[in-house]
Amino acid sequence: MPREIITIQAGQCGNSIGSQFWQQLCQEHGISQDGNLEDFATEGGDRKDVFYYQSDDTRYIPRAILIDLEPRVLNSIQTGPYRNIYNPENFYVGKNGMGAANNWGDGYQSGEAVYEDVMEMIDREADGSDSLEGFMMLHSIAGGTGSGLGSFLLERLNDRFPKKIIQTYSVFPNTTNAPDVVVHPYNSILSMRRLTQNADSVVVLDNGALSHIAADRLHVQEPSFQQTNQLVATVMSASTTTLRYPGYMHNDLVSILASLIPTPRCHFLMTAYTPFTGDQVEQAKTVRKTTVLDVMRRLLQPKNRMVSTVPGKKSCYISILNVIQGEVDPTDVHKSLLRIRERKLATFIPWGPASIQVALTKRSPYMPMSHRVSGLMLANHTSIATLFKRILKQYDGMRKRNAFIEGYKKTAPFSENLDEFDEARQVVSDLVMEYEAAEDADYLNPDNGDKATSAETDRRMA
Amino acid sequence: MAPDRVANALDNLIIQIVPPRGPNEGQDSWLARYNLSHELVRTIINTPPDPDILSDVDRAADSIKRKLIQSNPSHALRFSDLYSRLLALPVLKSKWAILYLLYALADSPDPRAPPPPLSIIQPSSSNYREAVARDAVKKRARARSKSIPMPRIEDESMRDSPAPEELPHKIPKEPKRIAEEKQPQPEPPSETAILRDLPFTLQGVSSTTLPFAKDDILRLPATLPLPLISILHTLAEPSLLYRRLDNFCQTPANGLLAQSLRSAISNELRSYLTLVATLEGQIRKALSSLDEAAPRGGIGKTGVTLKRCVVWTREATMGLRLMSLIAEESDKKKGGQLITLIHSFASSNGDPVVAAFAERLLGSFTRPWYGILRHWIYDGELSDPSLEFFVREQTDTQESMRVKGNVWEDQYEIAQDMIPSIISQDFAQKIFLIGKSLNFIRHSCGDSLWVEEYSKAASKELRYGDTATVEVWIDEAYKTTMKRLMDLMETKFRLFAHLQALKDYILLGKGDFIALLMESLAANLDRPSGAQYRHTLTAQLEHAIRGSNAQYDSPEVLRRLDARMLQLSHGDIGWDCFTLEYKIDAPMDVVVTEWGNRQYLKVFNFLWRIKRVEFVLLSTWRECMTGSRRVLQSPNQAVVQTWKSTRGTLAEMIHFVGQLQYYILFEVIESSWAELQKRIRKEDCTLDDVIEAHRRYLEDITNKGLLGPKLRHHPSDNREQTTYLDQLSEILRSMLSYRDTIVGLYGWTSSEYTRRQEVELRNMTRRDDDGGLTSSDNVPSEFPALQERLRHLGDKFRNRLQVLLGDLAYQPDVDMRFLGVAMNFNDVYAPLRRRGKAASIVSAATSATAPSASTSTLNASKV
Repeated sequence: MPREIITIQAGQCGNSIGSQFWQQLCQEHGISQDGNLEDFATEGGDRKDVFYYQSDDTRYIPRAILIDLEPRVLNSIQTGPYRNIYNPENFYVGKNGMGAANNWGDGYQSGEAVYEDVMEMIDREADGSDSLEGFMMLHSIAGGTGSGLGSFLLERLNDRFPKKIIQTYSVFPNTTNAPDVVVHPYNSILSMRRLTQNADSVVVLDNGALSHIAADRLHVQEPSFQQTNQLVATVMSASTTTLRYPGYMHNDLVSILASLIPTPRCHFLMTAYTPFTGDQVEQAKTVRKTTVLDVMRRLLQPKNRMVSTVPGKKSCYISILNVIQGEVDPTDVHKSLLRIRERKLATFIPWGPASIQVALTKRSPYMPMSHRVSGLMLANHTSIATLFKRILKQYDGMRKRNAFIEGYKKTAPFSENLDEFDEARQVVSDLVMEYEAAEDADYLNPDNGDKATSAETDRRMA
Repeated sequence: MAPDRVANALDNLIIQIVPPRGPNEGQDSWLARYNLSHELVRTIINTPPDPDILSDVDRAADSIKRKLIQSNPSHALRFSDLYSRLLALPVLKSKWAILYLLYALADSPDPRAPPPPLSIIQPSSSNYREAVARDAVKKRARARSKSIPMPRIEDESMRDSPAPEELPHKIPKEPKRIAEEKQPQPEPPSETAILRDLPFTLQGVSSTTLPFAKDDILRLPATLPLPLISILHTLAEPSLLYRRLDNFCQTPANGLLAQSLRSAISNELRSYLTLVATLEGQIRKALSSLDEAAPRGGIGKTGVTLKRCVVWTREATMGLRLMSLIAEESDKKKGGQLITLIHSFASSNGDPVVAAFAERLLGSFTRPWYGILRHWIYDGELSDPSLEFFVREQTDTQESMRVKGNVWEDQYEIAQDMIPSIISQDFAQKIFLIGKSLNFIRHSCGDSLWVEEYSKAASKELRYGDTATVEVWIDEAYKTTMKRLMDLMETKFRLFAHLQALKDYILLGKGDFIALLMESLAANLDRPSGAQYRHTLTAQLEHAIRGSNAQYDSPEVLRRLDARMLQLSHGDIGWDCFTLEYKIDAPMDVVVTEWGNRQYLKVFNFLWRIKRVEFVLLSTWRECMTGSRRVLQSPNQAVVQTWKSTRGTLAEMIHFVGQLQYYILFEVIESSWAELQKRIRKEDCTLDDVIEAHRRYLEDITNKGLLGPKLRHHPSDNREQTTYLDQLSEILRSMLSYRDTIVGLYGWTSSEYTRRQEVELRNMTRRDDDGGLTSSDNVPSEFPALQERLRHLGDKFRNRLQVLLGDLAYQPDVDMRFLGVAMNFNDVYAPLRRRGKAASIVSAATSATAPSASTSTLNASKV
């Protein structure tokens, strides 16, 4: 009776990431492309049923629901090498196949139409699990389907499963360079309201940082989506290793998140992974000796973070969880922690205990790794607010001119007024303030009325 | 020189030399003896030195040289060489005195040794031990001095002086002695007569001239001239010794080795008899060709004289002496000690004759011992009826009866004093282990087939003598048996798998299994312990096994897993007395002993408690987290604030539990486990090593895992002398009560939420606008109490934690200090120094620096 997790992949981006993720998981667990266990996959110790269930013919089927409003990506999955592992009933393609045209409102309003079908899938999967731990949603917040429909689904999941954990892997748009989607600030802000209010944990993956890291590590000028997706899949698989290879601690999603998220609002996590080499890419194979200290230090370097932030002077870690995979001697971890503390490589919040928590896990025996130790950092860092601020700024710039607003007005959420925009903006700016407040020592017990909370309260009372 | 110092020195000297008062000797006679010697010494001191001694170096040197030329010309040469070197020495002043002293010493009889005839007065072992020891040094000198008549004569004249004559005769300590009764016999027997009778005497048979008065008394005719008497004294020694040894051989032996000793000695005696027979032949031949007319009966010409007999029997006498010594000392010794005794002659005696003799004796004498040894190391059986081997079965005390079944530890033991000196301690240990292992394999592991095969294949004849080969064989046997035993342990009994299983289940290594077990048992265990039923527990256990990865474990492991309730006092809830058990049976129980099981249980209970708290905290966190998406939202500022600080405290607790678990898992259990693996995977690991390694492993875990009883001692107040376990229990308890309060707050907030919703709903229907106002107005009375309680509990938790951190910061153990550092990584807490030594609470500022200082030293030592 594992703590099952149902994965919901929404939109182009979500499904691309998802297919990469499932491919990775299958390889790690020794599951072949038709869902059967490979002959060599006899070494136990892994727990496949968190993410898979076994069909009657003992094939492993992912607990995944694939939703998109346009058929392109789903088609490619259904014709791809891993097409046979999925439950064909769990694919949902928009009826007209037109997509959401990168419009949040479009995606959101189509939610009503797809709700029945999608909820049926989710219910079926939920009923098929003994003790459902929660949901994992993969989507991007810049486009239409992932952000719009995703937001809708988050709201409904919230109502339907009020006691289940909802975690999302949200791909944030590239805020530094020319964006792929012009209206991404609108979509982002609107989605972020749901991520803030209706999700328990959001793993922020910043497209800008992703392609930067991929380019840097894989030594290519313009990394393809496939390459950045591989990076995301690696992060996702690493962050779920403790669930899939049970050990003494961190055997369920709650235990991971609880150690990371002290207050409900501040649940936007950033990640770092090292060494990311991309085993398919020949020139990316580096000759490097990975030690625990090395890995842990590199994880703290901003350039390895999958979110591009601009840390301020007061920016600090609320919490860190390092998932270290491979052959690790606990004393190395011990030494590394002391070294990091001594050199003050990481600053922590002043209002509560925080430290680099470490989870040592096994690595898949079926995936040969060129490096001895690899590490994933899940961190709750206040500087993530700078990313939100940047989005806010871009949003404000467009909103002032009411640029591209027409397309939104045509959709249901904005048919009456544009209040939705303002409310969402308010939520996001409250979030930014919350994070800024968390940099102060009196975050928990503000003596003279904390601004962020009062603002929040004001808003809620209104 | 002060006269009293002289007197003192004399006193000491006399007391040392004069034999102590015998048991059946009166005070008076002893005093008289003492006074006599005192007088004698005084007169010696007071008489002026011999006038004819001139303080002339050359004269002294000359007289020495003369003496040497007489006896041994080559030595004379060497002497003159040494002498010239002595003259050149600037350091020594009174050279002539030294030389004269040496000269005088060369002539004087050995002052410690009683004159030769007297040496057989007491043929007791202590005398012989001295004699044997002395022989090595004095052999040459004595051989020489015996061949020269001169010193003999001096010897005799010395006896004229009163002291030596009187003193030895005044020591009638032991009844055994030769009585030199001077019987009035008109005609002394001639030397030829004595010669004729001599072979009989040497064989211990009485003859007309030399009758044995008693068993150990040889009667000498008193009329003989003194020189002859002295020779006969010498010859009487082997005779008496022979009789004595012969008697010894007749006595019933106590034990195999004693028997073997007797047989070895009788063998030696036989060769002595051969010698006597040869001697007899010589004597007969000589006597038959005797020329009556010649002086002294013409004996001088025949080549066989009494003196010659002395020379011929000399070697044999040595052997007899040695044997007699052995025989005498063997009385109180047995088995290995006997071997040690004889071996000490063979190995540590400088005299090659003695050494060779003892060595020869050892060869035949140790045979039964090697037989036992062979049986032991090839069959694993102790066939030692008279307890002579150095391994012995442990006597059945009540202790061993109680701890029944520990065949490994309690069946055999080494008797340290029985280890013969021919094998070293290490080797004895090895031999002990071999036999013990074989025995264990045969009886506890039920693999007697292998033992038999092994004993057929490997058994070899072990003998004394070729020590190197024996050692090689024993080493071989050692390797084979140890390997076999470890093989059996690993393959047949899957010892390592069981250790792994213990770690997985009892030390909570299988987290998914434990989580599931806890989840499914949670409802049950909240009830009082009386309401726990074994069948529900086992059913849940079964369920947890099937629902987790434990299902893939081997059935052999799973069948040993059991869930039960501890016998605890009435009124506890299920959590307090639930325990998981892993049953270990023979023969693994030699490794996982009863003590080990208790330790495991202790660790399990501790970990289970922490896990439970973690479980509770996490489910609370989940409720709060998912709740915050809806029901916990409140418009009330105070409520929001309370939730915020509550969450903060909850996060602290989660952090604490997380760090504690990480520490115990990775710093304690994993590293101890790695250590254990390293130890038991060693190439030449024995079962004893495994047992020891496992014991260390458990000790490490309990000590480092904060379960140990040691906490820094606080002399000033005993009240606060709590263990870490107590402290942690306190903290864990406070977390549980905090959680209960959170549940209360949750309930209150969510009911508030529903109430508000209803109001809103009513307002919506009524389209009333002042709904927002009402909700903020009525904060019910329950809330402040909860708020207060949360704050109180939170503070209590924090205080306790700070005390704990204070204690940890001053721990001698580096790893435990690390736990303190990890819990307070960003220096949020100010660890409290206890009021033990400083008598006052160290202020927050100083105590904050103290641990960081200690960390830096920690760094210095670790990094």
